[in-house]
Amino acid sequence: MSDARNGNLEFQRTYAAKGEPFVWLTAMGLAVGLIMVVALLGIIISNGLPVFWPSRVLEFQLKSDISNSVPQGGDKIVGELVQKRMKRIPVLNAQGIKKADQTELQVFVGNKDTYGLNFAFANQDDIASVTEPKDIYRIERLEYGIAFGYPKSVKLANGQSVPSTNATFSTVLAQLCAESTARRHEIENIEKHEIGQINKQLNELRISQKSDSQSAEKLSALDAQYKTLASKASELRATQSASSLQYITPTGVDRSLAIGELVSYTQPNRLSTWERIVLFARNFLNFLWENPREANTEGGIFPAIFGTFAMTLLMSVAVVPFGVIAAIYLREYAKQGFFLQCVRIAVNNLAGVPSIVFGVFGLGFFVYFVGGSIDQLFFGKYLPTPTFGTGGVFWAALTLALMTVPVVIVSTEEAMAAVPRGIREGSLSCGASKWQTIQRIVLPASLPGILTGLILAMARGAGEVAPLMLVGVVKLAPSLPLDGDFPFAHLERKFMHLGFHIYDLGFQSPDSEAAKPMVFATALLLILLVITLNLAAILTREKLRKKYAGSAF
Amino acid sequence: MMTLFIKSGGVLVITAVLGIFFFILFQIWPLFMPAQVSELKTVSLPNHSFSLLGVDEWGARPFLVEPDGRMLTVDYETGAVSEVPIDFGEPLQIVSAALNKREQMIIVGTADGRFAIVAPGYESEESDGRQVVTIHPSAEKVTPIGLPGVPILDIAYGDSGSSKLVVALQANGNNRQVSAAIFERKRSLMGQGKEEAVGVFDLTSLIPGRASKVLVPGTGDSVIVVTEDGKVSYLLLEDEEFKLIQTFAPFEDIPGAHIQAATFIFGDVSICFASDSGANRVFSLYYPKGGAERFFGKTHDFPSLGTMPSFLISTLRNKAFLLGGGSELSLRYSTTESIRWEGKMPYNVVNAAISGKYHRLVVLDSTNKLHFFKIDDPHADSSLKALFSKIWYEGAPEPKWEWQSTGGSDDFEPKFSLVPLIFGTFKGTFYAMLFALPIALLAALYTSQFLDPRFRSIVKPTMEIMASLPSVVLGFLGAIYIAPIIEKEIPSFILLAVGLPLVAAITGFFWSRLPIRYRKLIHPGWEWIVFVPLLLVSSWIFFQLGSVLEAIAFVVTDPATGQKTADFGAWWTATTGNSFDQRNSVVVGFMMGFAIIPIIFTIADDALSNIPAQLITASMACGASRWQTAVRVVLPTASPGIFSAIMIGLGRAVGETMIVVMATGNTPITEWNIFSGMRTLSANIAVELPEAPHHSTLYRTLFLGALVLFVFTFVFNTFAEILRHRLRERFKTI
Repeated sequence: MSDARNGNLEFQRTYAAKGEPFVWLTAMGLAVGLIMVVALLGIIISNGLPVFWPSRVLEFQLKSDISNSVPQGGDKIVGELVQKRMKRIPVLNAQGIKKADQTELQVFVGNKDTYGLNFAFANQDDIASVTEPKDIYRIERLEYGIAFGYPKSVKLANGQSVPSTNATFSTVLAQLCAESTARRHEIENIEKHEIGQINKQLNELRISQKSDSQSAEKLSALDAQYKTLASKASELRATQSASSLQYITPTGVDRSLAIGELVSYTQPNRLSTWERIVLFARNFLNFLWENPREANTEGGIFPAIFGTFAMTLLMSVAVVPFGVIAAIYLREYAKQGFFLQCVRIAVNNLAGVPSIVFGVFGLGFFVYFVGGSIDQLFFGKYLPTPTFGTGGVFWAALTLALMTVPVVIVSTEEAMAAVPRGIREGSLSCGASKWQTIQRIVLPASLPGILTGLILAMARGAGEVAPLMLVGVVKLAPSLPLDGDFPFAHLERKFMHLGFHIYDLGFQSPDSEAAKPMVFATALLLILLVITLNLAAILTREKLRKKYAGSAF
Repeated sequence: MMTLFIKSGGVLVITAVLGIFFFILFQIWPLFMPAQVSELKTVSLPNHSFSLLGVDEWGARPFLVEPDGRMLTVDYETGAVSEVPIDFGEPLQIVSAALNKREQMIIVGTADGRFAIVAPGYESEESDGRQVVTIHPSAEKVTPIGLPGVPILDIAYGDSGSSKLVVALQANGNNRQVSAAIFERKRSLMGQGKEEAVGVFDLTSLIPGRASKVLVPGTGDSVIVVTEDGKVSYLLLEDEEFKLIQTFAPFEDIPGAHIQAATFIFGDVSICFASDSGANRVFSLYYPKGGAERFFGKTHDFPSLGTMPSFLISTLRNKAFLLGGGSELSLRYSTTESIRWEGKMPYNVVNAAISGKYHRLVVLDSTNKLHFFKIDDPHADSSLKALFSKIWYEGAPEPKWEWQSTGGSDDFEPKFSLVPLIFGTFKGTFYAMLFALPIALLAALYTSQFLDPRFRSIVKPTMEIMASLPSVVLGFLGAIYIAPIIEKEIPSFILLAVGLPLVAAITGFFWSRLPIRYRKLIHPGWEWIVFVPLLLVSSWIFFQLGSVLEAIAFVVTDPATGQKTADFGAWWTATTGNSFDQRNSVVVGFMMGFAIIPIIFTIADDALSNIPAQLITASMACGASRWQTAVRVVLPTASPGIFSAIMIGLGRAVGETMIVVMATGNTPITEWNIFSGMRTLSANIAVELPEAPHHSTLYRTLFLGALVLFVFTFVFNTFAEILRHRLRERFKTI
């Protein structure tokens, strides 16, 4: 509209005129808004990605007479540098001049079982020198998190001991670690799946309360099965603790770690850059694929990813038909007038209703009313233990579907409105009925619009937490909503969710400082997921616009 | 066929969607229902006189204590009346009796100046699918108290677990003597040890008047004595010594009023009094403002019963009490000052008892008939007044709005005022809008009017991404990352808030005065690109200057040591007297900005961009500058659209949940202090509903909170819709 290349006159008009400072003020508004988004994404990425990067282990030599928070740490702090932060000294001296700020280092020292703490703090000024101990190991354990230390030997099950100076040490340790991982999976399989199956059958028998000989037989058979499995598991467990790794902590404490407790180990200061990149990728994949450990602060987040996925999928299945039918009705069938106007306002309004209100409705209606009725009708024998009468993935999906239905209605309607009148009339004049026109012409043409709505709905559903807290999300679900047990899809099960994982880890975790890396990593993943979905929706919409931009009849 | 399917499907979806409102309304309805009391059955009793009426937890087997030391019990199911002897070890003549509600015990006073404590010994068992309650009373040792051989007119006791206080009232010639006996119970490793008498005290001299009634709270640490001339004395037991703390007359403004009945309300912090004319008041023990000792003060005034009361009993479940006299029965609730139920009986009521579960009522009439009633009052503690008015809660020095749904003990008084939550909602919204509104509107104005159109395809999707950021991530960042920074760097943020707009305006001012060959370097519509580095640099400078400002302006001096400290938080607390929390409104406002800015921006930008082009060109052609055009022509024309954007933004801010849950302390306070947190309706639901028992008062109150939220957003959104409609109409005419 205002083309700047029109010469001096234009320039004089724009710049010399009044109000130019205010234009700059509005420019600031936009700049601040954009910087906010970029900075936020930057914070999450810069805190989320380094979680997987194998950082170096440093040895901080403290100056003399500086107290060390690590017990028996002497004048050394060994660990990974987490952050440097400015510590303000608010005290003023007599002249009213502030003392200089101090830089404080936060060091992850691990060895929580020995030290009783995970982090040590030291002022930059108190540090004499920093070195990298070459031979230090970073040992990831099943319990108590990470240990830093120097291995002394491996004690084998047959009583033999392989000292770390021995050339075969690293191969022996690697082999033991691999074996223990395999055994751990086996134990998990036995305890979770096979014994779980038996328990389920036992429970069924108990609830049916039949006391005939047949069920008694069954009971004893199951009991025998259980006993064999349990003894097998305990045998495996014994093997897990038969051999052990002897190591010494940087503070000089001798420790012994059963091989079964060893998850993985690295020598972080001996890694080449390429090895670091490989380890980074492996850490990331483990994060995606593993189950959480240690009150969710270690391990991966697979169940949360799966739960989010399953819930969003179920929600999509529910939201599309309802949204599309409602949109077709509103656009094609409903008579224009006051009533339709009201319905439109209501639908638009619904998009603005806070998500927590949907959660409240979901809890009251789906969980307690519908779920409670289903329990009474079909699962009476389990009562008072609720089956559907408590939060679950199905109710969560329905609640979110209700919440996102306006999104789908609005974008479907928009897409249908964009279908040129000529195409519609062409179809009708060829003798197609109204429904045939809608089904064969209008709906296919508005498919990208429906898709946009669906993607937007999925993005909103995947990122929403507040209503889920009321209708079935849990911090740790014992089993996935989809698994190998009949009937495979367990709609009544509670589930884990990425967003709730962030809330729970960041706020309910006993050691929130230690959980921070996990939360940032989860937040990064969730944001990536939501942004990808949104970008997909934006691109689809752009395509749709271009497609119909030129097709005016 | 298909048409029918679509039509019915469409109507179904839409009704389902609208049904949310009605479902929630249906859920909260019982909150406002009065109590339902209906008569179940009547049992005739033998024509004896009784000194006490009590009932078990289930209301299935009421008992009456007879003067000869027997217990008359009635089985509700069968209507059978039976007599159970109490084994005192000797024949006794009982002249007075009282219930200790907390312990579920009876204390009886004899005609010869002794007392005994009796445990009713209720047992409940299931038999043939129905509950059978049996009673096996057992008495402790009969112990003398006060004047030997003188009948005990009234008696009461309290038991704190380690000690027991028994207070008896006796006639002493023309005078009345009040005696208190203290027993200590030594606890040994093997469980409860033996009781030892510490001493008997004569309290008569402490009481100003002729005593007519004594009350002892369950804690056994004080005595309340009612005198015949309508005065009440509050005596405190401290270090085995009684002290008169306070004497007050509950009905001093009513001439000649006597106290006809008095009882502790459940929790033993409030006493309910009824005068002989039927006036009814509740006095509570609280620390007056600035006081160091607790006194009784009038907290609730109820309408008169209209006749002389014959009894006043409280429940064991909540703060309700029943006042009866003549043929009137009135069930009242102390906290909310409401009358739950009133009834006029066809007989004269003499005594009554309410079951421990607050679901059954037994009333004894003057013809010795026992009437059983069913009480259906699941939400006794709820009413419009409780939800929205100031309430004088027990222990508080004044009426106030308060939300505190759960407490540590059974006798906790739930506080269900929605006002602090609604206040918190608006407080959060206000601070969020304070931050978001200028940025969003300035950005929208710039984007629609001045920005080079080539950038629109970057700016709009970026803002949409901002809108899609999950609020749980924003809340987490706010609480874990932003809050600690803001807490330390408040002066820097003050500088930023004031300095950045100044920098922008000053830059613009000098820029427009530069010779044209320099100005040519930047095209109109590219200013923001210049601005990004400028903004970053000036932000960094302001940030560094923050600590300088703090050292100059925000210094507190410790009066004790003279040590000066430059700390904004300490300064704020010292100067304004308000608290300074880490998770405060600034953090919430800032993080909510991420959620609201893109919404307001998008809608305002749409409204501003859709202004008919001829208006702008006409304005420009008349010689107006681009700023003049934007402010004088575009803004007024698009104002309904901008208001609509603000409304939608408000709606989003009001309902935002996760940010508030995580980035505030969730304390339900009512103060505008920017450096304290708040609890919003939505956060309250998210925090409390997962733990609320199904269909409890809390559950329904939280539903009411959801309904209030729903209504708020509905109003905002409808208003916005109407405004947008008006805008479309306006454009149509141009």
